[in-house]
Amino acid sequence: MSERRLAGIDVTPLAGVGTVVWYRPDADLPEPPAPEDVDGEAEFAAFEAARDEAEAELDEERERTAERVGEDEAAVFDAHAQFLTDPQIADGVAERIDGGLPATHAVRETFDEFVEQFAGMEGKMAERADDLRDVRDRLLRILTDGERVDLSALPEGSVVFAERLTPSDTAQLDPERVAGFATVTGGRTSHAAIFARSLAIPAVVGVGEALNDVADGETVVVDGDAGEVVVDPDEDTVAAASEDATAPVREGAVETVDGTEIEVAANVGTPAELGPAAERGADGVGLFRTEFLFLDRDDAPDEDEQYAAYREAIETFPDGRVVVRTLDVGGDKPVPYLDLPAEENPFLGERGIRRSLGPDADLFETQLRALLRADADTDVGSLAVMLPLVATVEEIEAAETVLEGVVDDLRDEGVDAERPEFGVMIETPAAAFMADAFVPHVDFFSIGTNDLAQYVMAAERGNDAVADLGDFRQPAVLRAIDAAARAAEGTDVWVGMCGEMAGDPELTELLVGLGLTELSMSAVTVPAVKARVAEIDTEAATALAERALAAASKDEVTDLLT
Amino acid sequence: MPERVVEVVPEEGLHARPASLFVETANEYDAEVSVGPEGAADDDLVSASSMLAVTGLGVAGGEKLRIVAEGGDAEAALDALEALLSTPEDEL
Repeated sequence: MSERRLAGIDVTPLAGVGTVVWYRPDADLPEPPAPEDVDGEAEFAAFEAARDEAEAELDEERERTAERVGEDEAAVFDAHAQFLTDPQIADGVAERIDGGLPATHAVRETFDEFVEQFAGMEGKMAERADDLRDVRDRLLRILTDGERVDLSALPEGSVVFAERLTPSDTAQLDPERVAGFATVTGGRTSHAAIFARSLAIPAVVGVGEALNDVADGETVVVDGDAGEVVVDPDEDTVAAASEDATAPVREGAVETVDGTEIEVAANVGTPAELGPAAERGADGVGLFRTEFLFLDRDDAPDEDEQYAAYREAIETFPDGRVVVRTLDVGGDKPVPYLDLPAEENPFLGERGIRRSLGPDADLFETQLRALLRADADTDVGSLAVMLPLVATVEEIEAAETVLEGVVDDLRDEGVDAERPEFGVMIETPAAAFMADAFVPHVDFFSIGTNDLAQYVMAAERGNDAVADLGDFRQPAVLRAIDAAARAAEGTDVWVGMCGEMAGDPELTELLVGLGLTELSMSAVTVPAVKARVAEIDTEAATALAERALAAASKDEVTDLLT
Repeated sequence: MPERVVEVVPEEGLHARPASLFVETANEYDAEVSVGPEGAADDDLVSASSMLAVTGLGVAGGEKLRIVAEGGDAEAALDALEALLSTPEDEL
């Protein structure tokens, strides 16, 4: 049997392997008894007792969350306690019990009425619906005497599957015992996702209905980095997932056997990932995606909000470099306030630097101001600014003009701003071909392999049918990387890589051989790649790269690597 | 009956933490407090002691609220609620 991969949204840059335990708190209640068989007084007493117990639980979880995650996330339990004791809830439940329903059904119907009301409202209000479901499920669990999976007492190596996980559910998960979780619904900024990152639990959310086809007891890998759930994983997949978690952390710079220093950095998507990245021994951040600041909200973050996030990133790596990629959105991303047009093919449309120099010019300038102020106000670390999806020299020149204007403005305002390191991603074939023309304008190239492979091979990333074409081992992809690396050879421009390819220890020697001196990846693979770098001899690596570049097929490349 | 019109300063509006504190504060007083959007008729006001009702108003930051209190400590309740709504969220 071969493995099956279900795509979802990556939440935690960690992978875990384990056994599926379905958690279905809103499983159907049994049919209610006939109204004349319901003892109203006893049912209402049961409701009140359950409410008291739920309140005590919430108190306890509030304390635990404040300790483990933080006050802000703990505040959600205060709101839950208020919903729980709301007079409208008590009235609704009492009314339904009078009408002949048992406490369980009365609770469900009462809450569902409000859930529906809130779910139909916009934005923040819809989140309250989740809070109400959470309180409802808590009451139902107590009323049905816990005939449900107890999340705090799962067997070691469990992977929790659920329709959705509420903050209360997630707070009960013990990272020591739970190998990961996956949910049918949910987004990157859901409560569950934030908890998962804070507690370092591998997680994938928003997998969709396909998750329901996976049964209890099956073995799965939850790859919170790639955003995939792998069912019936092959031995290799399991080994990779387990290895990631066990490689020892190495602090400080690593060198090859013959003394070439290779910077091993982390890709991060939110400030919450900075701490874990440093703990895994990352030398710095090689790709700070800034989209998280902009997605799933009603208006753009202002300069001060961005400033705080960038400053935190720089301060987390006092001896390292933080490469921040400027806003990279296009027609495929949900950013309501940007009025992104629906495009026939968003990956070839107005996105990345194209928007920053066009309709989002104001946002671009605000982002650069926030970045340069954060850099000026920190005496440690260093900032590098990186442009996404560059295809022409003119784009670099135009962005450079904006950057210089921002430096001048800030100096006029008395801020001690300096031009940061400035570079571009190499992710279009045009950038690989034109890299030599880019050299005079930049301090570095960072090869974005996910998009580069997709654009070079004309093979969509998310499409399994063409996955083989989009593989990094395709010689055409290697030649594109080589074109950028050769253009920078002998100049002051350094060449790095961010993208999944950089995090595969099997490819590290090849990448060093191609001349890359910085590799940036999900934090979870940093220890394994650092260990690999220390074993590499650059002369042998160069020879390997030459053979790989001369290969005629992906299979030939694969043979060279094993 | 004492009443006031107050602008909601927390950017998030009357949701989550600000709403939670609002309900908590209203419940600390003996006065019956009811609340609604500015210009709401008496019949359209909801109980300030119900989290569901208060959150259900869907009040955004910058909007104005009409707050009515009835009972011995009505003025004190209104003072406390006004102070709360006038505080930016990060100072709550």
